[in-house]
Amino acid sequence: MLRDITIGQYYPAESAIHRLDPRVKVVATFIYIISLFCFKQLSGYIIAALFFLCMVKLSRVPFKFITRGIKPIIFMLIFTAALNLLWTSGENVLIKAGFITITAEGVKKMVFMALRLVFLIIGSSLMTLTTTPNQLTDAIESLFKPLNKVKVPVHEIAMMMSIALRFIPILVEETDKIMKAQLARGADFESGNVIQRIKSMVPIFIPLFVSAARRANDLALAMDARCYHGGEGRTKMKPLKYKKKDIAAYLVMLCYICLIIAAGRILPV
Amino acid sequence: MNYMSIKLQNVNYIYGIGTGQEKHALKNINLEINDGEFIGLAGHTGSGKSTLVQLLNGLIRASGGTIYYNGQNIYDKLYNMRDLRSRVGLVFQYPEHQLFETTVINDVQFGPKNLGLPQLEVELRSFKALKMTGIGDDLLDVSPFTLSGGQKRRVAIAGILAMQPEVLVLDEPVAGLDPAGRDEILGLLKKLHDDNNITIILVSHSMDDIAKYVDRMLVMNNGEIVLDGKPAEVFQFEKELEQTGLGVPQAVKVIHQLREAGASIKGKPVTAEESASAIYNWLKYS
Ligand SMILES: Nc1ncnc2c1ncn2[C@@H]1O[C@H](COP(=O)(O)OP(=O)(O)O)[C@@H](O)[C@H]1O
Ligand SMILES: [Mg+2]
Repeated sequence: MLRDITIGQYYPAESAIHRLDPRVKVVATFIYIISLFCFKQLSGYIIAALFFLCMVKLSRVPFKFITRGIKPIIFMLIFTAALNLLWTSGENVLIKAGFITITAEGVKKMVFMALRLVFLIIGSSLMTLTTTPNQLTDAIESLFKPLNKVKVPVHEIAMMMSIALRFIPILVEETDKIMKAQLARGADFESGNVIQRIKSMVPIFIPLFVSAARRANDLALAMDARCYHGGEGRTKMKPLKYKKKDIAAYLVMLCYICLIIAAGRILPV
Repeated sequence: MNYMSIKLQNVNYIYGIGTGQEKHALKNINLEINDGEFIGLAGHTGSGKSTLVQLLNGLIRASGGTIYYNGQNIYDKLYNMRDLRSRVGLVFQYPEHQLFETTVINDVQFGPKNLGLPQLEVELRSFKALKMTGIGDDLLDVSPFTLSGGQKRRVAIAGILAMQPEVLVLDEPVAGLDPAGRDEILGLLKKLHDDNNITIILVSHSMDDIAKYVDRMLVMNNGEIVLDGKPAEVFQFEKELEQTGLGVPQAVKVIHQLREAGASIKGKPVTAEESASAIYNWLKYS
């Protein structure tokens, strides 16, 4: 029932992208997202799309998994598209009905803005689909390490993040189980008005909170029993190390961003 | 009430269709469960027991195949699933994790209330169920979260019993209980079956737990039912059971080992008592 949630969903496969250092993937995704705001004309979109398609091909993740990430934001997408369409003023008026004016510029802006959002989402999904949550937090911990100097508890934040990510599937499963258990007791989550429906959630939420608290308690005890004491002096079992292919990947990203910027200056459309 | 039965025909279940991590949890299950049977469903962890029992009351839908309850196809468009859920009561593993009300009695009333029964009937059934599970009157108004593990579990089971199902399915009801708590719950089920003739399906991965109580035993391995019969018959397949990671009860094992060593013990004892008297007879008359 709740298994459509895709945050942090990993698609296991053997591919060049999967094997990259997670730091490369985080930085590359960041560069890709920035690149989406570096151009204004059609050619930029084409380059960004082609580049992305190549990466998907390389990652061996089936395309339908990538597009699945768009589903949850479809409402936001429509909303921003509508705003852009109605609130953009321009000279080439296409339709004018009452207070609604739709211009050619509005249509163009709507399409481009929507495309940008879609690229942004599917670009980051490609990262989470090819990187396990643990690798991701390792990468973030490593990339933000310099902030330790200004007293940001980077390790602790990364640890919290990885625990939270680790617990998402567990809690989803737990919710599923509790929901089924209450359904077996004749609970009804689907009918009635809003108030009744919210009320019908109580038999799910209370056991869920109780169980989350219990798990948190157990985990804290287990960490204590293993003498966990925070980041200081802690070493990694699998330290992150850049290899040749990671350097190559950085170079590819550099070429890509140069290409996008150059295209923006040189190409007319 | 007419003759009750559950019939599964070529039932398959696959987890995670379309996620790239598919898991064929049930493979072509054919099974008939008759009125008043006390069935033990055994199998090692991950063999598909929990998946199978969730199919029985329609919580999950088979990926293929059909299920008939009293001769009616439960996947029929017009079939009333909620009605099925009240007839086939399912007690989940660790049922105490689903408690949520402020008092024990309120929690037990949740099920029968959902059936839309009048308040008097709801209370009557709840008191009866709590009495059956051995929860004393002094505990009715305390918070279920303050009870001990065994008490919580009995309250949770009472919550299903109060719905008075025709078939009671329990998924590992004694997991994590001490021997006394285990015997108490199993004894309660036996009594329930004998007094009210209700059909019971008891899931367990421990042969010792179920051998003593059930009339019929199903053994699952890798999503398939590999053995089906009376406990005494099923335990003849010691080799096969060991291969599926289950083994036979200690009492049966002793008999088999004595036989291998040349003792001519008669009969097919299952429980410790039966084994003891079989050995006694052998010693006395040989
Ligand atoms: N929600 C689920 N998603 C994916 N796979 C599952 C899920 N539940 C169970 N499985 C898998 O299905 C198989 C059967 O599980 P289950 O019916 O729970 O076995 P049992 O109750 O006998 O231990 C196992 O291999 C398990 O990993
Ligand atoms: Mg199970």
